Amino acid sequence: MLDIQKLQVVFGTGRLRVDAVKDVSFHVEPGEAYGLVGESGSGKSTVLRAICGLAPITSGRVLVDGAEVTTPRSKAFYRTVQMVFQDPYASLHPRHTVDRTLSEPLAIHGEKDTETRILQALREVGLGPSFRFRYPHQLSGGQRQRIAIARALILRPKVLLLDEPTSALDASVQAEILNLLDDLRRKMGLTYILVSHDLAVVAHLCERLLVMRHGEAVEETTSAALRSGAASNEYTQSLIQASQGFTRNAKPPLQSLAG
Amino acid sequence: MTKPLLDVEDLRVRFHLRTGTVEAVRGVTLQLGRERLGIVGESGSGKSQTGRAILGLTPPPGEVTAKRLAFDGIDLLTASKRTLRTLRGGRISMVMQDPKYSLNPVMTIGEQIIEAYQAHAKAGRGEARDKALAMLEAVKMRDPARVFSLYPHEVSGGMGQRAMIAMMLVTDPDLLIADEPTSALDVTVSMEVLRILDELVTERGMGLIFISHDLKLVSSFCDRVLVMYAGRVVEELEAKNLREAKHPYTQGLMRCLPTLADDVRPLPTLNRDPAWAL
Amino acid sequence: MAGSPALSPSSTGWRAWLLSPEPHSRWQARLGRFYLGWRAFSRNPLAVIGLGIVLLLILVALFADVIAPYSPVAGGDLRTQRLLPPSETFWLGTDDQARDIFSRIVYGSRITLFVVVLVALIATPIGLLVGTVAGYLGGWVDTVLMRITDIFLAFPRLVLALAFVAALGPGIENAIIAIAITSWPPYARIARAETLMVRNSDFIASVKLQGASTPRIILGHVVPLCVSSLIVRVTLDMAGIILTAAGLGFLGLGAQPPMPEWGAMVATGRNYLIDQWWVAAMPGIAIFVVSLGFNLLGDGLRDVLDPKAAK
Repeated sequence: MLDIQKLQVVFGTGRLRVDAVKDVSFHVEPGEAYGLVGESGSGKSTVLRAICGLAPITSGRVLVDGAEVTTPRSKAFYRTVQMVFQDPYASLHPRHTVDRTLSEPLAIHGEKDTETRILQALREVGLGPSFRFRYPHQLSGGQRQRIAIARALILRPKVLLLDEPTSALDASVQAEILNLLDDLRRKMGLTYILVSHDLAVVAHLCERLLVMRHGEAVEETTSAALRSGAASNEYTQSLIQASQGFTRNAKPPLQSLAG
Repeated sequence: MTKPLLDVEDLRVRFHLRTGTVEAVRGVTLQLGRERLGIVGESGSGKSQTGRAILGLTPPPGEVTAKRLAFDGIDLLTASKRTLRTLRGGRISMVMQDPKYSLNPVMTIGEQIIEAYQAHAKAGRGEARDKALAMLEAVKMRDPARVFSLYPHEVSGGMGQRAMIAMMLVTDPDLLIADEPTSALDVTVSMEVLRILDELVTERGMGLIFISHDLKLVSSFCDRVLVMYAGRVVEELEAKNLREAKHPYTQGLMRCLPTLADDVRPLPTLNRDPAWAL
Repeated sequence: MAGSPALSPSSTGWRAWLLSPEPHSRWQARLGRFYLGWRAFSRNPLAVIGLGIVLLLILVALFADVIAPYSPVAGGDLRTQRLLPPSETFWLGTDDQARDIFSRIVYGSRITLFVVVLVALIATPIGLLVGTVAGYLGGWVDTVLMRITDIFLAFPRLVLALAFVAALGPGIENAIIAIAITSWPPYARIARAETLMVRNSDFIASVKLQGASTPRIILGHVVPLCVSSLIVRVTLDMAGIILTAAGLGFLGLGAQPPMPEWGAMVATGRNYLIDQWWVAAMPGIAIFVVSLGFNLLGDGLRDVLDPKAAK
């Protein structure tokens, strides 16, 4: 479904040159969920942005459905690939109602049945028709992220790029959104690429994942291997350990009670 | 047991807005000794406002009331502005979420630490400088002298947060309030920062209030945890007994996180009972 | 007023409808938003006074024929009715042509309104378009457009207006054109600054990813976010525009006699300032009140539309 070959992304030139992504390759099967894990500055988000044209492809190839993408991307590309952003407070236009937000992609692509498709899109993400004419400030963070997902799905894409879709949300809301994403993938046969700094989230949603650091691919592994602790790479190991919470190394917990 | 370092009873923070009064904190009672106390809750639970109210940093138009709000026997509600100023930054310090917004961008890190120190201790420049360098070393900066002369934008997030901690601890406070000190940082970096914080707190015998949304992190770091929901403390427990949490909210918060250990699908979600907020 | 606490029970119905968190139609959502804005606006008494003055100006201009007791251009008896002080017959006195000053001010409101509306209609869209396009596209487009803006910004308004009038001949239309082409550059600056703030935001990126064309993004997504701060700025600028128009009139380069333009009226009154003060003072007060009205309105609008700048 998606093939990334020796992708390289460079911003700026000369002294300001930043090699955001260095020679990263991976392949995603149709219907698969693939994770990109790393800390800030690892280039994981830049890979997503390069796929959808928000960042330049300096060298290498990005193939969707076997065909190399064009720059600028064609309308057909946007019907196949859509993206959900990290911060639901920033990804919805503050002056547009949900209705306007959802009808925009339909209008751009000249689709009919705006009315029914909007209501259907709302239903798919678990929101009722009562949400249709609300402004973003009348919605909670989780509801906003549902709207953002509905907007991404309304053109019936095959690939969804998810850029930290739950990291701005509370834990309980994160669980709801993860369940929704899981459901939607099964129902619609979607292909996901999920970017996250949270190993547990990636392992929950994805079958395979790529660990990135400083713009380079560190290790490609599977969620099953991650769960069984079979990660071979030292950096991956340190990420796994950090995700378990704080550990006081060596020393037993100090009991410094009220004195 | 001697008197606690911090004694708070029935703390309330109200915001009088045009649309009516919003009570962000609704009667929090807590006592803190020289220990690590975690306050956990989701956004809007009032955890940050609790920390700010203790420091007297409630933004206007907020109004703070309490039956008792005492730090080491000093009543913070009736204390003069002067007393508060010497306490704040001197004996009570606060580390905020993002070092980018808490450090002065036009002053070097060293200057800021010196300034913080001199504001609360009568010390010459040379002494303050030594103290600042020692503090930067204490937060495990690899090259303290270099970091000393850097501006905040020249350091990474992790280093900025460590500089912030150095600045906050240079006056040897008795109480440190850390509001999401690591949530702007990468996991591996945040573990490092927490380790430093942990060492300093233990060594100096400080009281620590650690405010966070991350139950897992707080329970692994603190001795005792308060769980807040809708402005109230719904449960208080020893960190090591977190598994035996009684309140459905605490239980829900723990279960809804995906873990590497087991693969639960779908993830259990939290059914908020309106009764919790009563 | 809508925000007052003494609310009749019958109004609760439509209030609830307007404030409903679950609007049932596009219109209800929009009206609800508007109503919230109005509630915030009406809480500021000075702003309401400003709005009242501006509305009064509009009403007076519309119904000048009905309100004015005399003709604004044809004078009375030059021997007996020149330079009369305010009285019951001539409320604000008469000028050196024996014309009723009150009637002239009433008709003059039309000219003032005409100037204000036309300048706003010409300058705002130009500024908005130049600013958003420059800010959104960036690169050389931005450089070229902003340098042009700088060039226009460098002209002193009155001097350019003088040059224009010298070239095209005196008259209110030429004065308006001159004012309009010197007013848009600040609007372009504001629009560009706002655009730079939003152009890298996720909601613009997401509409880009839906395949929207650049004009669509600028007009449908960027412009609505710039409009409110621009409205505030334009309203606040109105006073200056009125003063410039009056200034041109005063110099004899704006509206031509016998048009009852307020600035020109002040100019004729200046010869009699000591003995017949009302000839210059009455139109002067009119200019002052209307300018004040626009400024108060602008401040009120800023509090509602642009809460960041109000602080």
